[in-house]
Amino acid sequence: MEKSAWIWRVVFLAAPVAVFSILVLWPLFSSFFYSFTNWNGFNPNYKFVGFDNYAKIWTDRLFLNAIINTFVWMVAAILLPTLLGLGFALLIDSNVPGGKVFKSIFYLPICLSAVVVGQIWTWIYQPDWGLLNTLINFFLAEPLNYPWLAKPDTSLGSVIIAWSWQQTGLSMVIYLAGLTSISEELLEVCEIEGTSTWQKIRLVLVPLLTPATVVVIALSVINSLKGFDILYIMTGGGPFHSSDTLAMHMYNESFKKYMMGYGSAISVVLFLLALVIIGIYFRELRRLDEIYG
Amino acid sequence: MFSARISKIILISCLGFFGFVSASSSSEVTISHYFSDEFGKENMGKVFSRFEAATGNTMKESPVGHEDFKTDILVRGASDSLPDVFSYWAGARVQFVVDSGDLSPIDDMWARDGLDGIVAKAVADSATLYNGERYLIPMQYHYAGMFYNKQVMADAGITEMPTDWEGFMELCETLKGMGIAPIALGSKFRWPAQFWFDYLILNTAGPEVRAGVMDGSIAYDSDEVMAAVGIWMDMVNNGYFAANSNADTWTDASDKVANGEAAMTLMGTWITGYWNGNGLTPGEDYDFFPFPTINSEAPVSVVGPIDGLVISANVQNKEGAEAFLSFFVSDVDNQIEWTKAVGAVSANVNVDPSVYNELIQRVISTVDGASNFAFNYDLATPPPVAEVGLSMFQELMESPDDYGAILSRAQDSAQSAFAQ
Repeated sequence: MEKSAWIWRVVFLAAPVAVFSILVLWPLFSSFFYSFTNWNGFNPNYKFVGFDNYAKIWTDRLFLNAIINTFVWMVAAILLPTLLGLGFALLIDSNVPGGKVFKSIFYLPICLSAVVVGQIWTWIYQPDWGLLNTLINFFLAEPLNYPWLAKPDTSLGSVIIAWSWQQTGLSMVIYLAGLTSISEELLEVCEIEGTSTWQKIRLVLVPLLTPATVVVIALSVINSLKGFDILYIMTGGGPFHSSDTLAMHMYNESFKKYMMGYGSAISVVLFLLALVIIGIYFRELRRLDEIYG
Repeated sequence: MFSARISKIILISCLGFFGFVSASSSSEVTISHYFSDEFGKENMGKVFSRFEAATGNTMKESPVGHEDFKTDILVRGASDSLPDVFSYWAGARVQFVVDSGDLSPIDDMWARDGLDGIVAKAVADSATLYNGERYLIPMQYHYAGMFYNKQVMADAGITEMPTDWEGFMELCETLKGMGIAPIALGSKFRWPAQFWFDYLILNTAGPEVRAGVMDGSIAYDSDEVMAAVGIWMDMVNNGYFAANSNADTWTDASDKVANGEAAMTLMGTWITGYWNGNGLTPGEDYDFFPFPTINSEAPVSVVGPIDGLVISANVQNKEGAEAFLSFFVSDVDNQIEWTKAVGAVSANVNVDPSVYNELIQRVISTVDGASNFAFNYDLATPPPVAEVGLSMFQELMESPDDYGAILSRAQDSAQSAFAQ
């Protein structure tokens, strides 16, 4: 390699590496550091407490609650957008009338910020005049004014639906791209062989869409782990922690209870969880690469 | 291992929050406050104009939403980028920041400007002194009382408001019988429910027990707290509270009272600013009565917050900051304009009570007649503990029958939070 080319590579890489180091690596290591302290976020005179914050995690019932909610959130946030996205993609790909219009409409929510989506759905779920209860009341004799976001049984599920509404468009577009790569000849063979639509989907389309599915699931997992803003807007983790995820629990402990050290310990656990999931994802990606070339 | 300051800044940045570090000119005073709605900003703007005209300093503000302010100020403190001056709630929250070394004492300014002769002694003693030094000037104080819709009460044939618990229960039963929700509560953001907890403990067990709960020496599942909360839960079970309180904000609950869907709400005097801004007339459309007496042996207590202004430890323009604090509390015209606009009461002894409307004058009499002024729950107990209690209030409203178990769980969490 020419020396001047090498220098230019270093120069051009220096800026992103510096930004990455300052905004990602340094905070990451700082979080590890503060997780071993009792820092409250204000007081510079913090003490090292060893593994106390990590020990506390195992006795914190709100942490266990947040782990369960995070698991529910991730599973639902993967399944719903993936299945709905696949369904809509198959429907639009089958040249249904108005398919292109529906494609644009279904994709539209992904262009909105989570804050806007959260506010829209907060209005939809409003108990007295929200769209959902208004629609339900068309079919009921007694008016329903159920507070979907204010009940612990439905708060998390309600946010998951709002989240899925936004994410489905992205899954749909990825599946549509995947469908265009399936050869027409193969589908014609299916027609000639007299396969049913269900058989075609189950035995041909879904297996051939595996690479697209991997991308969709990977994005869903990453987005769901980052899913904080919509929860913050719609429920703030409430009522009484019923929709707390790990990210929300970390925020509450750090910034509302002023236990930055403990919040850092939770963020380290969240980081390790993400690391495991991303590790599994890369392993599967390599395996699929070997299968599909 | 790390430079503490850089580590703090970057940790905060990673979590997505950015403080504002601004260079200020010699006469510029930076301020952050939580009077961020249109109404609050407009009135703060008027204060700044009056101050700038009087002193030649300029104010540079960064208003933040009321709830977000609690986090924002922590973030700015953590990154050493606090403004010169910021508004804060007197009590445990200021104590927390004082203990962290992020505030500048104002004893010299207090003595120089003779604030002992300006700020009401009761307020000065309870709200401005922390660890033996003065740190805060009171912007105003509020009082939490039972605000009601006069027309609804008149329609129910009620002309005399109850002063004791028996009368209050009769009132609730009458209103309920007429198909009107007696009480609206908007506990979506949790804090409005705290006034019920405060008043019930103060009125049944007294200020000393309540202070014990606030400092952790008396448990949440003690007999005294159980008894007080039991009264509250009986009211919930009797259907005296409007449905879906955890879905409503305090303004939703206030609207329900204003619209006649509910009869009354236990709220601070800022509700008068909100209602007046919506065209309601105090004394004609709405009125208030003090929280009814439950135990006549217990000293008469009133509950409310005191909003204050403090100066940060890293103040860039200390002279200007002190001038602003002194002006805010000392200038009588400013105090009158400000407190009337936000529906509060001035702590400046030179403000003639007759400048207020008749309703606020009765608020002043009620507060003067009480033997104890208590900060509301989330200002009386340390912030980590307050978080536990505020969530507990929502849970109580959802599951009133389980209050024993809820209080026991809260005690476990509060104990852990106190240990921090």
